[in-house]
Amino acid sequence: MLYVVLFFTFFSLFLYVLLGGADFGAGIVELFSSRNNRKLTRDTIYHVMGPIWEANHIWLIILIVILWIAFPVYFNIIIIYLHVPLTLVLLGITIRGVAFIFRHYDAVVDTSQVWYNRLFRIGSFITPVFLGMSFGTLVSGKITLTNDYSQMGFADIFLFPWLNAFTILTGLFYAALCAFLASTLLIGETTGEVRKIYSRKSAIFTITLVLIGGAVLTYGYFTNMVFVKDFLHNSFSLTAIGLSAVLLLPLWQAIRKQHSMRTRILAGIQILLVIFAAVNTHFPNLIITSSSEVDLLAGAAPDSVIRVLAISLIIGGAIILPGLFHLMKSFNMIYPKKED
Amino acid sequence: MENLDYARLQMAFTLGFHIIFACIGMVMPFFMVVSHKKWLNTRNPVYLKLTKAWQKGVAIFFVTGAVSGTALSFELGMLWPEFMKHAGPVIGMPFSLEGAAFFVEAIALGFYLYGWKRLPETFHWITGIIIGISGVASGILVVSANAWMNSPAGFEVVNGAFTNIDPVAAFFNDAWFTQALHMTLAAFAATGFAVAGIHAFQILRNKNQELHKEAFKIAIFFGAVAALLQPLSGDISAKDVAERQPVKLAAMEAHYETEKGAPLFIGGVVDEEKKEVTNKIEIPGALSFLAFGDFDAEVKGLNDFPEDELPPVAIVHYAFQIMVGIGTLLMLAALLFFVSLRKKKWWDNKKFWWLFAVLSPLGFIAVEAGWVVTEVGRQPWIIYNVMKTAEAVTPMPGLKYSFYMYVLVYLALAVTVTWLMNRQIKVLNNSTE
Repeated sequence: MLYVVLFFTFFSLFLYVLLGGADFGAGIVELFSSRNNRKLTRDTIYHVMGPIWEANHIWLIILIVILWIAFPVYFNIIIIYLHVPLTLVLLGITIRGVAFIFRHYDAVVDTSQVWYNRLFRIGSFITPVFLGMSFGTLVSGKITLTNDYSQMGFADIFLFPWLNAFTILTGLFYAALCAFLASTLLIGETTGEVRKIYSRKSAIFTITLVLIGGAVLTYGYFTNMVFVKDFLHNSFSLTAIGLSAVLLLPLWQAIRKQHSMRTRILAGIQILLVIFAAVNTHFPNLIITSSSEVDLLAGAAPDSVIRVLAISLIIGGAIILPGLFHLMKSFNMIYPKKED
Repeated sequence: MENLDYARLQMAFTLGFHIIFACIGMVMPFFMVVSHKKWLNTRNPVYLKLTKAWQKGVAIFFVTGAVSGTALSFELGMLWPEFMKHAGPVIGMPFSLEGAAFFVEAIALGFYLYGWKRLPETFHWITGIIIGISGVASGILVVSANAWMNSPAGFEVVNGAFTNIDPVAAFFNDAWFTQALHMTLAAFAATGFAVAGIHAFQILRNKNQELHKEAFKIAIFFGAVAALLQPLSGDISAKDVAERQPVKLAAMEAHYETEKGAPLFIGGVVDEEKKEVTNKIEIPGALSFLAFGDFDAEVKGLNDFPEDELPPVAIVHYAFQIMVGIGTLLMLAALLFFVSLRKKKWWDNKKFWWLFAVLSPLGFIAVEAGWVVTEVGRQPWIIYNVMKTAEAVTPMPGLKYSFYMYVLVYLALAVTVTWLMNRQIKVLNNSTE
């Protein structure tokens, strides 16, 4: 039963990174678009993501709820030591979420749209940065667990662990990943000249992603970071990341040939490989603090809880997944329209 | 003020904000599908227009409710990490099911909002019903988790650790049904009266009468039925609280002395120092009767509970008076509405519409007051008789700033949403004139 819960944990993580990421990325692509393309991106994104827009972000709630029910000790550390960046994530989610709905559901279209757009784009950029920073912090080895909070300063416990060169790099890495996903998704939704714009964007964001990824590993390597060292010595993680690098070639070819379906599948597989590489390195010790490693499973809830949770997840999944699939199919999200 | 106070203020503020959006997001879909059904049956374009206008409202309120709900799912842990560490696994079942129900709601909403002219008509309409049902299910599940804090069940505490956890028993704790019933009815009454009041105001302003009267009828019907049933549910709740949380009942009534045939206080000024209530109206024996169904039953007073286990009496008492007062008022207004169905002349009287326009915000004030009663009335406990709120709070200092941030952001949001609704109504009024 624990494996069912673990499966749903990583399944939600994967879908949140993929779908939520594409959604954040849409705002980032808009942010880095020329004035003319912004309107276009905005409309295309609304068209392609609109119906599942809400659902994309519920994966985060599912993930959080699983963590607190099944892995309370682990969740406890995250929620205490990442209080500040997670508050900023929530602020970002709130701002971009309401800005998105306001700009599409305001009864009057006037200058207030400028504000909705601005908030949506900025929120879409900062939210994944802080999310990436939070993930980075967990494995950075910079968190100091303590029971005596008065001994160390506020900044040493609650600020510097997540605010440093390494975590900023991981934050930018996730933002680049979101932009990569969104631009890749958009290719399939457009035709002709416009399509070329997104093909180019997708290529640019792919390169950015690879560069930042390289920077994360290089920085970690030269500052003797446990996670990065282990990452580089873990053959499975290396294979996964190598495979995702090799897959860039067919991806680029698919982008050039404008095969939207193949592009999407390849992009999805790459995200899966990146997550696998990152999680596999230290599983199950998924928090690395300055002095110890915290095992995800060690503080797991008792069997009775895991059993009920697993059953709830299976029932919930059996209702939700077909519904979600049917929703995506009904609105042509799975088979994008063919190029005319 | 201390960190703990700011944590409590932030929780109260964000929950108080969320509950309004959650209620509207839960109940408005029902108005929407009724109007939608009338459109399908009559093909009167007024209903289509109303459905689409309400649909925009549902979308805006749903998203605002969803983002503030996302924030809450984090905040529970961020502000009360020790609570979540122990209680998380115990009350996980309603929360995980709530996650699923919420998901179903989001999927159904996707179908509904984007399904016009693209989905078969009946299927499209049914997705609207699913939005409503899953919304109500979410509400009931979350309230069940809150009920567990008032009536903890399904675990044992051994040396500070929660063991022998039975999530199903925790879910079906003694308070879940009474609380869920009371809250669901409250959501329907508050939203029904709020929406009806807004349309009543438009009727007063002589705007698009036909549409606003249809809208009023649909909304007030739900609101009025719920408002009539609510006193019954309130009575079940009061008896339940009297049995399980006698100290909360005593605080609600500001009842200091233990006595048989205890009187019911209406109104009154509470002096917590002197432990007395002045300027009140007393109804002899009524409290004993309401709490235990017996005019001579003994009701334990606040003085007989340990000093350090008393909630802030004045706040709880005033909030309770506000809730009951408004509840009574709305019940009378509901009766008035049903009578008006037989006396159609009233509908031409401006006073009739003024009344409902003025009542508009009251339901939500009662909802907020009710949550103050249940939450403040449980203090100093976060889990009744098991864990104190002070033991649960985060060790991180400086919560003052996060509290200010939330106040600022949510106030800005509230203002914006109100302004947006106003724009919706204006567009609705202008389009047929």
